[in-house]
Amino acid sequence: MARDLGELNREHFARYKDDVKKEGKPFFPRALFHDTVMSLVVVIVIAVLAVVWYYDAEGTEAGILGPWYTEPAEPGTTSFIPRPDWYFYFLFYLLRIFEWPESVFIATVGIPTIALILLLGLPFYDRRRERRPMHRPVAMVAAVLTVLSMAVLTWKGATAREALGSELVRLVPEWAEEQGFAQNREATDGAELFAQTGCLNCHTYLGEGAGTLGAPDLSAIGRTNDASFFVPFLTNPAAFGNTVMGSYAYLGQENLAALGAFLEASKGGE
Amino acid sequence: MATRSRRASLVETTVLQPLDWVDERTAAVRATKWFLFRNVPRDISWAQTLGSAALTAFIVQTVTGVVLAMYYQPSSAIDPITGKPVAYSSIEHITNEVTLGWLVRGMHRWGASVFVILLFLHMGRVFLFGAYKYPRELTWITGVLLLVTGMLLGFTGYLLPWDQTAYWATVVGINLNGTAPFLGPWLAEFLASGPEITSDALAKWYALHMLVLPGAVIGLIFVHIYLVTRLGVSSPPWSAGAAGRERPAARPEGARTGLVRGSGGGK
Repeated sequence: MARDLGELNREHFARYKDDVKKEGKPFFPRALFHDTVMSLVVVIVIAVLAVVWYYDAEGTEAGILGPWYTEPAEPGTTSFIPRPDWYFYFLFYLLRIFEWPESVFIATVGIPTIALILLLGLPFYDRRRERRPMHRPVAMVAAVLTVLSMAVLTWKGATAREALGSELVRLVPEWAEEQGFAQNREATDGAELFAQTGCLNCHTYLGEGAGTLGAPDLSAIGRTNDASFFVPFLTNPAAFGNTVMGSYAYLGQENLAALGAFLEASKGGE
Repeated sequence: MATRSRRASLVETTVLQPLDWVDERTAAVRATKWFLFRNVPRDISWAQTLGSAALTAFIVQTVTGVVLAMYYQPSSAIDPITGKPVAYSSIEHITNEVTLGWLVRGMHRWGASVFVILLFLHMGRVFLFGAYKYPRELTWITGVLLLVTGMLLGFTGYLLPWDQTAYWATVVGINLNGTAPFLGPWLAEFLASGPEITSDALAKWYALHMLVLPGAVIGLIFVHIYLVTRLGVSSPPWSAGAAGRERPAARPEGARTGLVRGSGGGK
């Protein structure tokens, strides 16, 4: 019998309405009772989280649920590691998978937009009447894959090793050896500055860094430019048409010269 | 008898008549009855309380948010007394000095996470039950929009304490917006309100967080609940007594199974 989907749908819904009327239970008070119990649980859970958070932390010292607050915002600092709230970790980690700046667009806009369209359009492309999970293999596999990938991305985002200045500075001798500037005092100083001033929050260097903004890899930047370019560039990137990167003029010309020497010595290693 | 009828007339004049008066003009009483005194499928259970649980979390956010708004000051200017930004100082004040301020702020802080978790769980339940199918497509769409606005609320609220975590996460967020084509750079400029993120941006984010987005959420919740009430809650699809289940075709009157071939009542 070739009856059209709309007709079957309407028939089913009329039967649903009829069944609910004849055999259903009253929303008030039966279903509302379950809702009330559940609501109480929700409020209690929130209050318990708040109490644990408050009593386990002390000011800027974190407890198991984090600190009350961190230090006051300081636009001048470059060494702070940006971290969103946990439910954005999946997006945050997605950014590290794609290279800046050519394909980062895929992570920031492409994938979220596609996901949103797929989500909004779900009832329009999944038009079958079947509702039993075991009879909807495609939907169930898609759901499991979505949940798994969100969980993995959230987990990776939560445990990602961040480029902390204090950790990175220990890598300087390694860099010096790999790039062959161990004898160059100025370049080594520059490397230490590079590790500590937060350059690796955005840039990558010999496999380190890859922060959330994923600016260009600088391992071999010395092949294309030298210190006479780097120093004015760092002083005012905007003058070179780069409006994303901030000015590092505050470091002073001596430090900038050291950074320039370091970048010039970075030829990409072996 | 006399006292009973006096009580009845008292109820009549103090309760029923005012209610009738209001109902005649607004239909509010009829609407409440329509919402409360309806049947739901007999086989629904705890899985179907996730939506109202999310609503409860949102109500917690509204109440605690209103209290926080009474003490919070969205300004990045340096407070001459504390030597810290005004917004940051007001958060310290709420946490350390206001009576139960720590609890209100803590519940708002963690209520946001609970709200987002419940939104996802609720959506997962609806997906598993196939409850987004005809005729509940629009309920699903308003639900997805609620998820998006809910997450935007979390994102905009994150900046307000004006601490390092808040500030840098927001800088990254704004830069990410800037990578979008066409509107991206414009949106990033609007959100950042200048070359550096300061009071101008903070006030803007505060307005989004406590006026625009909650307004959108409240509106969407009303549409969502109206649709749920109108279309009903669906039974678990595996339930033997699911509302709307297919019935075997009725046998013809007087037929006896098995005596005559093909009279089994099936196809």
